[in-house]
Amino acid sequence: MTAMRKTYIVVVVLALVAIVGNHLTSPSSGRAVSPEDFAGACAPCGAPCPSKK
Amino acid sequence: MTTATVAAPQSGAALGIDWLFLALALTATAILLALVLLDGQPWSAALIVGGFGLGVAFLKAEFSYTASWRRFLTRGEAGGLLGGLIVISICAIAVVPVAALRQNFGGAIAPLGPSLVIGAFVFGIGMQLANGCGSGTLYSVGGGSGRMMIALLLFIIGSVLGSLSLPAALALGGIDPVLASDYLGPWGGLAATLASIALAAALIVAVAKRRAASFMPSRNYMIGGLAIGLLCVFVFVVGGHPWSVTFGYTVWGAKAATALGFDLTHSEFWQWAGPKHALSESVLSDTSSLTDFGMLFGAIAAAAAAAKPFAATAWPPAKSLLAAAVGGLLMGWGARLGFGCNIGAFVGGVASGSLHGWVWFLAALPGCVIGIRLRPLFGLSRE
Repeated sequence: MTAMRKTYIVVVVLALVAIVGNHLTSPSSGRAVSPEDFAGACAPCGAPCPSKK
Repeated sequence: MTTATVAAPQSGAALGIDWLFLALALTATAILLALVLLDGQPWSAALIVGGFGLGVAFLKAEFSYTASWRRFLTRGEAGGLLGGLIVISICAIAVVPVAALRQNFGGAIAPLGPSLVIGAFVFGIGMQLANGCGSGTLYSVGGGSGRMMIALLLFIIGSVLGSLSLPAALALGGIDPVLASDYLGPWGGLAATLASIALAAALIVAVAKRRAASFMPSRNYMIGGLAIGLLCVFVFVVGGHPWSVTFGYTVWGAKAATALGFDLTHSEFWQWAGPKHALSESVLSDTSSLTDFGMLFGAIAAAAAAAKPFAATAWPPAKSLLAAAVGGLLMGWGARLGFGCNIGAFVGGVASGSLHGWVWFLAALPGCVIGIRLRPLFGLSRE
């Protein structure tokens, strides 16, 4: 097995453990949302509008 | 595209399938689907499935915004750019009217100002050095490119740094988003959006003709563009917003930084309602992360199911890895200041009828020119 394949296996498994660990230890209050769903958001990251600053 | 090339026969070679990585990708996807379904979130499961489909489609079509832009700038070839416009046109037909007419749906909007222009310009430099944009980095990692794994890591770090810089960049000034449907209504906005895409296509073809270059999208880009466009519509319908990639990276980086002891909660960006919610909640509560995970595992599955052993190449030269790292960092920082990447800002913005999508494109293009000129410094071809 090449070093690259070994690296991939380690990274994918660690990423999966991190995702599952984060999910199980963090609140999850309903349907998945985007920052744009929040009041006052003016961009995909949730930044406010210049006129509101 | 930076997927793996054949090096030596591996398990499952007789069938051309790398069973180990196919099983890994499918198991990982199944675990994520199980987690969100156990939480009673079928829409989240649908976003993972949509992302998985996008990973397969991008990898199979070898659909690359970065290479398309480079071919246009260096040789005048327009087929790749037109393939990208196919994606946007399909997406716009759903996004502009639905976002304007239906509650709980919204387009990708963003303010116009120095932050957008600076961010897109820097992103353009980074994407040519890294050889992949936001989505390209993700599906190339999924395709077995260790080089792009470095780019993704630095992209994540750069996007956290960008989140800390964004409030200062926004303080430079700007105006509120300009949305076609706000001025022309849902159908007039759609007509104006499609007309703007047609005008861009005509200009791109004119440049190609002037440079005696080809302008017809390849079969891969036609079919890939159609599939990716339809999947973008699917993600919009189940997620309520156009597909975005890079906010997920920012959330992952912020969560990792928090786990390492950094307190981001006092920075302005992470006090805004959306980012604050994303940082405190499960990573599977963020729409961008859900499609990103699906796309990554979809690309791994597609690459593992191809007639090549997965990730069988050696690590590239150090200079190439350095270009990936620098490019990733610039893309991450640029994506936060520019409100996204080719997908979130350009595809999502234009498909929503938001002027910022075209501004992003026009600002990223000169950045790409700089990035292409810098590529030889890292041992990369300008082509």
